Amino acid sequence: MQQIIDQFFDFGIMFDPDNFDKVMAGFWFTIKLAIIAGILSLIWGLVLAVLRQTPGKLGRIVRWPTIAYIDVFRGIPALLVILIVSTALGALSQPDLETGAGALLPRWIGVPDWFGQPAPFWYGVIAITITYGAYMAEVYRAGIEAVPSGQMEAARSLGMSHRQAMRRVIIPQAIRKVIPPLLNDFIALMKDTTLVSFIGLIEVVQAGYDIASETFSSSALTLGAFLFVLVTIPLARLVDYMIGRQQARYQRGLA
Amino acid sequence: MTAAGDPGAPTGSEPRTAADGSILGLHDVRKRFGDLVVLDGLEMTVDRGEVVCVLGPSGSGKSTLLRCINLLSPPDSGRIVLEGEEITGRGNAGIDFVRQRVGMVFQQFNLFPLQNALENVTLAPRTVLGRSAAECTRRGEELLGRVGMADRMHEYPERLSGGQQQRVAIARALAMDPHVMLFDEVTSALDPELVKEVLDVMRELADEGMTMIVVTHEIGFAREAADRVVFMDGGVIVEQGPPSQVLDDPREERTKSFLGLVLEH
Repeated sequence: MQQIIDQFFDFGIMFDPDNFDKVMAGFWFTIKLAIIAGILSLIWGLVLAVLRQTPGKLGRIVRWPTIAYIDVFRGIPALLVILIVSTALGALSQPDLETGAGALLPRWIGVPDWFGQPAPFWYGVIAITITYGAYMAEVYRAGIEAVPSGQMEAARSLGMSHRQAMRRVIIPQAIRKVIPPLLNDFIALMKDTTLVSFIGLIEVVQAGYDIASETFSSSALTLGAFLFVLVTIPLARLVDYMIGRQQARYQRGLA
Repeated sequence: MTAAGDPGAPTGSEPRTAADGSILGLHDVRKRFGDLVVLDGLEMTVDRGEVVCVLGPSGSGKSTLLRCINLLSPPDSGRIVLEGEEITGRGNAGIDFVRQRVGMVFQQFNLFPLQNALENVTLAPRTVLGRSAAECTRRGEELLGRVGMADRMHEYPERLSGGQQQRVAIARALAMDPHVMLFDEVTSALDPELVKEVLDVMRELADEGMTMIVVTHEIGFAREAADRVVFMDGGVIVEQGPPSQVLDDPREERTKSFLGLVLEH
């Protein structure tokens, strides 16, 4: 029993000021990354979902590349996208030493340090937005398709263009329907932000792992897990509550 | 309902008619869904101010006819002429032309659930015609008053009965100052006791001179309010004429058997 406690719940290690600060600093990175990438994914996903609904034959020019994008990035692990983004942006902002050609990307894009955050942080934001934008686009699409077709017909019959009808009638209804699944995606997104430890950001997992390597105790990792659960469980409960409320509305025939 | 004006007369442009005096003409209109032929070379003209009731068995193409007229479901071939201008084969120009002159009311009301009754009525004039909020609100209040909804203007659709929702839907279509109104089985989804309040509003509209095409199963309404009854089957007009003739003394076998089934119960 004592062995178990020492291995997972050694409060001496968890609340050692150095260790605690290190884990908290890591978790703070995780939170910042999740919120920024989460907001960008929500916006990018909606843009993709709307482009995917472009009507008409000409709309294929927009529709098909959008579908291809969504299919591809839903099918690639987030870790791979993170590695590709970081290596590619880093390399493309270096001048070619052999041929003497200049860099393809300016350094402030290739190795970003916007708002004082390190480059791996922004690589993570970019890669996770690319990936989760594709996931969220599918969630929005389900929401758009769940709006009865009569809504679009009524709006169009009143003279609204497709764009006006989407903006004023369809999208507001769709978003209400998809807030719970979007929150679910956000929980997954938040967990996937830990993958940036692979490109050198000391976020909560890496911080805990560093301490575990020094102390041979998993307690710092347990602390990280606890911090995650502190955020994700209330979010999960909020999702359940919202779904329950929606179903109650639906059963009253009001949704 | 006190009519403070004539909702049949648009506040904007006056309806125009073609050389033959008709406001709407359909010529050899064809529409198919896959292998199913829904409209099979349909011919029809409607005069200004005329009330046409369209009867027919389900699947006869009645609803498709309405949806072709306002290009919600454009015909595969044939010509549709509105106020002397062909709207078919002109892409978005035809769509804009017809949608600003022809209003439609649906079986399922299709009110916008996130907007209250007044906002439902004002949304299209504001976004499509770019009218000021004050002007749209004033006109919206007036129209909702006409359909007997003055006291419930700020209710959301979920708090309104089917009959009330349908009356709001009629006001919403009228807010675009249409020259022609299409009604697609607008009482079919209503509880029986709510049918009358909707038909009353339509009767007043008809009396005020609105051009109306009404797809309906309400034989009584057709008898009283229609100038002409059209019986459709198999994607064509089988028989048409004054209500008394088509309803009481039909010439065609198909009309007789359909009316026999409808009037039986």
